[in-house]
Amino acid sequence: MADEGKKGAGAWDATQWHVVAKGETLSKISQKYYGDPNLYGKIFEANKDVLKNPDLIKVGQKLRIP
Amino acid sequence: MKSKRYWVPVVLVVVGLLVAACGSANKDAATAAIKAAEDSWNAVKAEVVKYIPDQAKSVDDTIKAAKESFDKGNFDGALEAAKVIPDRVKALVSAAAAKKAELAKAWEELSGGLPNMLEALKSRLDILSQSRKLPANLDKAKLEDAKGGHEAAVRMWEEAKAAFSGGNLTDALAKGKTVKEKAAEVMTALGMQVPAAAAPAPAPAPAPAPKG
Repeated sequence: MADEGKKGAGAWDATQWHVVAKGETLSKISQKYYGDPNLYGKIFEANKDVLKNPDLIKVGQKLRIP
Repeated sequence: MKSKRYWVPVVLVVVGLLVAACGSANKDAATAAIKAAEDSWNAVKAEVVKYIPDQAKSVDDTIKAAKESFDKGNFDGALEAAKVIPDRVKALVSAAAAKKAELAKAWEELSGGLPNMLEALKSRLDILSQSRKLPANLDKAKLEDAKGGHEAAVRMWEEAKAAFSGGNLTDALAKGKTVKEKAAEVMTALGMQVPAAAAPAPAPAPAPAPKG
């Protein structure tokens, strides 16, 4: 039953994700989703639990896109 | 012979009285059965109608039929029709409770998930509003449409919650479903991933074109 509950909650998860590809920076990701590279700070803020420095992101890293 | 003739009217009167008594007994029984049926139904009708209106109508129809039989003097028919109603009412009460539980579960899911969608939309719209240039899939008009869609969804979600608080689960769910569809539509317009639980059902596959 607990598993079913978790599945149900997961099905409603509206978090937006982006998996970092080779050559990407937060600015490029910001440009892709917001049209403006200068808004990269929004993505950095949303991922502070996994990012210590906005210039250091890793290929394959899964980032939240607010 | 004389004494026999004397008894004939007496016997006829006695038989007549017995028939009248019997008819009166049937009438009383039918009256009591109709009253019992109506009482049992009226005690739960509002709740049953709320959740299974189609089935509720059948009880109204049966009570009406019993009363019509009664008015025509068909007390046996009225009794037969009315005496099954309390059991049917019990069955409907169970069915309504099951439907209520089903709707409550659906509401629980919606109310747990929809706020996430609305919050994700608000967050994205707030950021896009600060953007100097919009992403490739979006222009200013589409962004304004999306904002309007989000505001409408938020308003309707408030209405859905009010309907739920007012005990109207059916209305709350109908509104919630509309909010879900609207939110999914706006998310798609913004290029966002729609949660699996809110994704529209896939359209049926088109029939294969005839060969030749």
